[in-house]
Amino acid sequence: MSAERLLAQSAADLITWQERLLSPLIDHRLQLLCSVVVGALLGLLGGFVVLRRMALIGDAIAHAVLPGVVIAFLLVSTGVTGLFVGALAAGVVTAVAISLVTRFSRAKEDAAIGIVFTAMFAVGVILISRLPAGTHFDLKCFLFGDPLAITETDWHSILLIAPVVVGTILLLFHPLKLLSFDPVLARTMGFNTSLLHYVLMILLSATIVAALRSVGVIMAVAMLVTPAATAYQLTNRLWLLLTVSTVLGGLSAAAGMFLAFQFNSPPGPMMVLVATVVFLLAMALAPERGFLAVALRRRRIRRHILEEDVLKMLARFEETPQRAAAGLAAALTPADPRAIGRAVEDLARDGLVTRGQPEPTLTAAGRARAQDMLRAHRLWETYLAQEGASERHLHAEAERLEHAHELAEELDRTLGRPAADPQGKTIPRREG
Amino acid sequence: MAAEASLRQPPRLGAAPALEVAGLTVSYRQQPVLRHVDVAVPEGQLVAIIGPNGAGKSTLLKAVLGLLPIDAGEIRVLGRPIAQARQHVAYVPQTDSADWDFPITVREVVLMGRYRALGYFGRPRAADHARVAAALETVGMTAYADRHIRQLSGGQQQRVFLARALAQEARVLLLDEPFAGVDARTEAAIFELMDRFSQAGQTLIVVNHNLQILDRFDAVLMLNRVVVAYGPPAEVVHADNLRRLYGGRMSFVDEAERALQEGPADVR
Repeated sequence: MSAERLLAQSAADLITWQERLLSPLIDHRLQLLCSVVVGALLGLLGGFVVLRRMALIGDAIAHAVLPGVVIAFLLVSTGVTGLFVGALAAGVVTAVAISLVTRFSRAKEDAAIGIVFTAMFAVGVILISRLPAGTHFDLKCFLFGDPLAITETDWHSILLIAPVVVGTILLLFHPLKLLSFDPVLARTMGFNTSLLHYVLMILLSATIVAALRSVGVIMAVAMLVTPAATAYQLTNRLWLLLTVSTVLGGLSAAAGMFLAFQFNSPPGPMMVLVATVVFLLAMALAPERGFLAVALRRRRIRRHILEEDVLKMLARFEETPQRAAAGLAAALTPADPRAIGRAVEDLARDGLVTRGQPEPTLTAAGRARAQDMLRAHRLWETYLAQEGASERHLHAEAERLEHAHELAEELDRTLGRPAADPQGKTIPRREG
Repeated sequence: MAAEASLRQPPRLGAAPALEVAGLTVSYRQQPVLRHVDVAVPEGQLVAIIGPNGAGKSTLLKAVLGLLPIDAGEIRVLGRPIAQARQHVAYVPQTDSADWDFPITVREVVLMGRYRALGYFGRPRAADHARVAAALETVGMTAYADRHIRQLSGGQQQRVFLARALAQEARVLLLDEPFAGVDARTEAAIFELMDRFSQAGQTLIVVNHNLQILDRFDAVLMLNRVVVAYGPPAEVVHADNLRRLYGGRMSFVDEAERALQEGPADVR
């Protein structure tokens, strides 16, 4: 095969590959666009839902829009406006009913939510069975979504809703932030917190209606909660959380759609799985809070503590040479001898000890550090004894606390610069 | 605007008291929590509210703030109903009521003190940010301004709430247990701050559990559903009143109320 033909062949391969991957998305660009926008809107609102611990209310509203949608379907049949009005009404009725049940019964909010949304959903299912013969209402589509059935009309309604949702959040950003962080303060300042709450509920109902076709009610909750929970894992600022959550919502929808075509599976659940995988990644890898970061930090602290213990033990050996006979590993049990070896390597590299037989020896810098440790240890023992800690716990507790030696100077001041610890051992002074 | 300006003047002789509560009765689930409470606090005073758990101390603060429906009586703040005096009142809640995991910095929390002035659609301006910076400086939290709130100790959380109240530029501050869960040194520091606010002419009404420091307040309100005593600490804080406040049985009225709620014993 000549080089040209090979090149042409691979170019053709590339094109078919591209076509195979992308052409379904291009063919369904309207459906893709709708799903992405809806995913983004759910992500945005989800930020407030997660922070206000309203995930369950979001779930309730998603289910409870059913009777509203069916009644609208009965009355005006196909008009999108009718569907929205019906869904909004049902959403608001649900939110109000939940607060009424909470107020006038002993049921707490979670129970009230359970009562209200199942009741609404039941009404909806019964209404469906009463639809006149010949009308077709697809309950399965309502529950699980069917993005491929998205039409121009859906796009138009999304075009209407998206600016309203984004605009309202931008306009009311500060009051909504206040409501989410400290609703009581908001009320003492004269903000109408119920009104703000219902504004959020209305935006939520409208977005969920728009999301019905893409992901369906059950998956809508996932798109509401999961991207926001991911963003919460990653940031400490509200505006950033909302931005990240919006972007993640949109990206999950797009990636889900793409994968659904690749694996020939339903798009709604695929979007949810993508969002979930991203959440799991964030849970594991988030800086500071992710469990990987936590594990690494713990390990670093453990190693640091062991190094300090080695230094301190070597200093004790210098004080009382007969103790050195047993050796470092024995003195530091139950620490793993290999870990001790690593600690000595690290200390040698930092110039704090010199390797030697049978035990390493302290350098001048190492000795100074070890004195600091001994000093912290004895100061803590003095302090704990004053606080009335039992003799037996004194040493173990000081052994732990001494590693927080930044506090030692403050401790020294508070204790009035004692010369010796309770056992009469000299507390080394800090030079300079 | 003119009325607002005149209110910022120091109080004239005979001006309305900072807080006036008359015949206040508040119930929770049909059970009276406060009964016929009469209290008047002149402006600029530092007042402690003490009483056992469930005595209605927080309820009184919340009623004054207009957060609870009241059964009977009248509450006036600076001579007006609370709805017209909100800009002059700041509430410092118990620190454990807040969500310290919320994605927000210290500075943003204090900035919330400006939100009433901004209204629903306002955006914080340079003047608001300047007030926030000044408030943070006053409570000694400038160095922590851009930290996330989870990194604060109990005492620092309390300072942040005080800074927020300061940013509200209120004339009346209602504080719910500002000393809860802080050590003695922090308590002293917080008290010193409150004292400074008081010197500056603000009225502070403080729910407080520490009986050791009562003599540093201008007045003490002993509350247990009803007002047990109210006056300068030298006059009201003595063993007799303390026994009446903390000790002893439920009052006859309480028992009668409960009987009326649940039906007389022979009906139950």
